[in-house]
Amino acid sequence: MQTPIAIYIASFIGSVGLLLMMPKRWLNLHKLGALLGAAALGGLWLFLSWKLPWGKLGVSDGSFIYYYIFSAISIIASVRVITNTRPVYAALWFVMVVLASAGLFLVLGAEFIAFAVIIIYGGAILVTYMFVLMLASQAGDPQDPRDIPVADRIAFEPVLAIAAGFLLLSVLLTLAFEPMAPNPAARAPSDEQIIETILSDRSAPVVARTLAGDDADLPAVPPLADPRKLSNTERVGLDLFQSHPLGLELAGVILLLALIGAVVIAKTKVAGEDTVNPEARSVWDRANTWQDL
Amino acid sequence: MTGPIDQITLAHFLLTGAVLFALGVVGFLTRRNLIIMFLCTEMMFQGVAVSLVGFSAFHVNVTGQTFVIFVLTIAAAEAALALGLVVLLFRRKRTLDAEAWAGMKG
Repeated sequence: MQTPIAIYIASFIGSVGLLLMMPKRWLNLHKLGALLGAAALGGLWLFLSWKLPWGKLGVSDGSFIYYYIFSAISIIASVRVITNTRPVYAALWFVMVVLASAGLFLVLGAEFIAFAVIIIYGGAILVTYMFVLMLASQAGDPQDPRDIPVADRIAFEPVLAIAAGFLLLSVLLTLAFEPMAPNPAARAPSDEQIIETILSDRSAPVVARTLAGDDADLPAVPPLADPRKLSNTERVGLDLFQSHPLGLELAGVILLLALIGAVVIAKTKVAGEDTVNPEARSVWDRANTWQDL
Repeated sequence: MTGPIDQITLAHFLLTGAVLFALGVVGFLTRRNLIIMFLCTEMMFQGVAVSLVGFSAFHVNVTGQTFVIFVLTIAAAEAALALGLVVLLFRRKRTLDAEAWAGMKG
């Protein structure tokens, strides 16, 4: 497949649309920009779908329709993340990006990653972001657009940034549409092979019951739906613990370092902080006085 | 795992991943709010994750999905550290504007 010029045209039109949607001092044509962006994405998909070999996509035809839905949601939401002038709304749109890309993972049959991403990103990381946004919000009426800080209202160098983004996207898309073939050497062993060699006692009665004795009061474990097949979670777990044990340990060390580092950073004393914010000081004092009484 | 996905199917997922990554870069360069800048790096992680899972389905090997777990780990560590730093910076200058910290410019 040659690199079609249509890809570059579409990403250029999309970039112009994004430029119009960016909050700027001049030329705020959000609706026209959204229209251009949607046209670019739709045109690109229309162009690409001519070549789709329906019936042998590798995923079922029915589930590939969901690719279009989730992909459109994630791209629209990510545009809203970078064009929204209110940080809290931008963070909420990012939750949408996470949910939509979890949908894309489901289309590809990666259930474990899909739900892990929802729980960790949508649950834990985004809650941290919301907490900090609330902690660090400036005073003022959130409904009044004049009370939004200039840093949030005006995009910084939108033309240059979008030109850089366009170049990056062109390079990435050129590579994405290069002819590729799956590497047969990279293909993981089949479910049957793994069950025979590594998990030979997988369908046997649960090990815990034999260890604890027959009369132990253990909850009943439902039988495997298909003992000849491994679920996605089992495959990921096997790969994680069999092929990447060092990476797993390093990940644990990094998390521990981040934990200690975050505590150290949070406990750092800031010089002159109390004088900067007299109002917070007085509230604090009042609270302490009440406790003393 | 089923058989490999088709090359053009893969290209569709790579397209979404590339667009998410490029939008994250543009957001990182244009937004001046420290928290939103870090949010945009998380968006780049999402784009990479979509590409990794796509390649994992293309080569019929779950290592791509395992790498997404590592990406999640790094994202969590980065969020904890970066947000701690952002709160520290906010306590000093009472603003989230990255321009307020341009004093180190040469």
